[in-house]
Amino acid sequence: MSVLLSVDNLTKKFGELTAVDACSFTVEKGSITALIGPNGSGKTTVFNLITGYLPSDSGKVEFAGTSIQGQSPGTLYRKGLTRTFQQARVFADLTVQENLVVAGGGSWKNLFGRRITADDRARASELLDEFKLSHVADLYASELSWGQRKLLEFASVLMSKPRLVLLDEPTAGVNPILIETMATHIRSYNAAGVTFLIVEHDMSFVMRVCDPVIVLDRGKTIAAGDPLTVQSDPRVLDAYLGD
Amino acid sequence: MHTLIQGVILGVLTGGVYALMASGQTLIFGVMKVVNLAQGAFVIASAYLAFTLFTQFGIDPLVAVLITTPLMFGIGVVGHWLFLRPLRREDATELSILITFALALLVEGILSITYHTTYRSINTSYANKAFDIGGFSVSAVRLYGFIVSCALLVLLYVILQKTRFGRAIRATVQNPQSATLLGVDSNRVKAYGFGLGIATAAASGSIYGLLFPFNSGSHYDLISRLLSVVVLGGLGSIGGAVLAGVIIGVVSSVAAVTWSPTWSEMTFFVVLLLVLLIRPQGMFGRVERGAL
Amino acid sequence: MKLSKEGASPFFTRIGLARGGVFIVALIVMPQLFPQHWIWNMMFFTVLYAAMSVSWNLIGGFAGYPSLGHAAFFGIGAYAMAAIFKSTHLLTNGWQPFFIMPLIGLGCAILALPIGLIAMRTRADVFAIVTITLLFVAQTLGYNLKSLTGGAQGAGLSRAPFRLDIFEQPFYFAAVSLLLLAMGIAYFITRTKLGMALTSIRADEDKARGVGVRTTAVKVMAFAVSVGITGMAGGIWAYYLGFIYPQFAFDPLITIAIVLMTFLGGRATVWGPVLGAAILMPAQQLLAYYVGGSQIYLIAYASIFLLIMLLLPRGILPTVLSKRRLASLAKQGNMSGISSTPAITGGSNS
Repeated sequence: MSVLLSVDNLTKKFGELTAVDACSFTVEKGSITALIGPNGSGKTTVFNLITGYLPSDSGKVEFAGTSIQGQSPGTLYRKGLTRTFQQARVFADLTVQENLVVAGGGSWKNLFGRRITADDRARASELLDEFKLSHVADLYASELSWGQRKLLEFASVLMSKPRLVLLDEPTAGVNPILIETMATHIRSYNAAGVTFLIVEHDMSFVMRVCDPVIVLDRGKTIAAGDPLTVQSDPRVLDAYLGD
Repeated sequence: MHTLIQGVILGVLTGGVYALMASGQTLIFGVMKVVNLAQGAFVIASAYLAFTLFTQFGIDPLVAVLITTPLMFGIGVVGHWLFLRPLRREDATELSILITFALALLVEGILSITYHTTYRSINTSYANKAFDIGGFSVSAVRLYGFIVSCALLVLLYVILQKTRFGRAIRATVQNPQSATLLGVDSNRVKAYGFGLGIATAAASGSIYGLLFPFNSGSHYDLISRLLSVVVLGGLGSIGGAVLAGVIIGVVSSVAAVTWSPTWSEMTFFVVLLLVLLIRPQGMFGRVERGAL
Repeated sequence: MKLSKEGASPFFTRIGLARGGVFIVALIVMPQLFPQHWIWNMMFFTVLYAAMSVSWNLIGGFAGYPSLGHAAFFGIGAYAMAAIFKSTHLLTNGWQPFFIMPLIGLGCAILALPIGLIAMRTRADVFAIVTITLLFVAQTLGYNLKSLTGGAQGAGLSRAPFRLDIFEQPFYFAAVSLLLLAMGIAYFITRTKLGMALTSIRADEDKARGVGVRTTAVKVMAFAVSVGITGMAGGIWAYYLGFIYPQFAFDPLITIAIVLMTFLGGRATVWGPVLGAAILMPAQQLLAYYVGGSQIYLIAYASIFLLIMLLLPRGILPTVLSKRRLASLAKQGNMSGISSTPAITGGSNS
């Protein structure tokens, strides 16, 4: 398998605090890679650095073999690198269907085209059916429940047919049935060729869905490998239980 | 050369007053993330109060500060409770800007009906006195105003550093969420923070009234200057606001003596645009990204 | 808001076209029914302010960037008109100045591009700071660029050579054209992806950037178009009055008036600002007639604004529309999952 994303010596400081400290890891094409670590280990910051929401202090990030240093979230999105947020971020004043359409990318010319074209509608309704959101398609996103928002955000980043999706805690605050739904969607899109990098706290979810697993502690990569190996790695146990 | 130094002296003295006004403005932003467009209007309102206290009761404007400061603090707390607290979080930033703008116009309207729109100035006995320091003339009102401003800035610093209330405010500025977790009552901090910010307008108003003629419309001029100062210093940074106040005071004063007084008013806008172009977060501001 | 369930969302709906037709006919017929001068005058100002409110709404409502500097562009448009009068002799039959209007609009829009690019780089509050400062700078220039503006003594334009008994009419219809242009643009925005892009910027700009919305281009464009229309309104106003002063051309009251109209009627809608203007402008004219004095407006505008923000923050139209929408959803038995009402009803309403 080839490397889709490689992070090399990435560093980010907030004043005195070094949130990400010479962090390095790679994500194989076609994998469902987990990024785990105790609270405050820098997982979300790594996401922000990769997706262009934060400038890094030093280090390199390569996506599909080319450097993506300093590129804006929008540019990266158009290149097929997209993400979700821990607190699902959807556009409250747009309907569910529009939330999908607006995330569908689109050219300059499209901006002046119809709000929703027949193509948009077809593509959106496919995803809405799959994510069981069709019955709420015309509701505003602000009218959805928490779990529905998480599903909607996930569905919307798939609109642009991405190559790599970064999911920030897809199961946080979501009921057990929906967790299974999430797992199913991740697996099926992975089978269709989408690579995932997932920050997650729910260990049983990680063990069932992800392989390999990368462990961060205090901004550093301390272990990487298949779930069982990582689980029994003493450094990982230390990080979670230690001090 | 002589006029240049004279200009610098004048600029530092005037800048001290801007520093005081801007510290209140930036404090409000720090605590509430609200750009208070009514700050200038409250300064002018305080100047009118000082004017009335002086002409009716013969109270010196610098002494009147003792009366106007608690009054402005109260107005700030009530204003926050009435207009800013009810805002819903989603569009609070956008709406609070418009609300403080409306407040500014409300204050302006009330002042222009009470006092009419003719320019007023407060003519104390020392209004035309000047000291000669090393060959440079320094007017008494400017010097007194500067001294009072500095004293109040020190007082503000002490309040923020040494009191429990000050610590709560600083915690809120740094991280509102964790401040709430640490048991800081965020609504109360915001109300008092807003009050404290408006309270700095009281003293600034007395001094402003001593230095410049003013009318109810003067607050536009003032708010443009204040906002430039605050952006240069970095929104939310009090130290930045003080330094930026002095810098902008000097720059515009030097521009006035070497170029023309009219165009020196433009220096604020030029500084503002340059800051936004080169370093949008200001001298001491933090880079904020909504993603975090 | 009704979306058809298949195919593309329509540009025009039958009811929308009907509504627009009735509105245009009403604009033409209404003043003829009451041919007094003061009615024409009131209608002129109502329509002119409606046009400005609709244009403010493009950036302040749809995109959520509250501009406080629109009065600056109004004044720039007015003084541009005065300058054109000074340097050329346009007046043959009085209609030429109206045809110059688009140039003034274009000029204002071009001027807005660099300002927008700098002011909208970071956040909405910085944008508000720059625009209010801009208003003050424009005012200062209005007083001090005496060669161009005549300073506090004002600038004169030649009086339009229209027959006195129909003097207001050409101006009124110019304002109507401007309003229809502004509403046309607003309508176009709600019916294209531009509208969704602007709404996503208002809702969560960082996220919008992250899903490939071209945020900078869209918002700067909205700002430029918005102030372009406002500049043209200033030009018409200057020509109508024939003599302009800086304190009225660069009046913060203009800003608060159009913001208030937009919020009262409902921001981010096509008809809201028009409704707001139709309520407030006649009210202001009556107030002026009975009380006089612009300080009263200042207090009245500011207090009404504060009251609306507290009591009806979403404005009249969105409040009514969302009630209707919830009722129709309930009828369809489609209430599942409704947890709260939307922050503002975005998008189209016609």
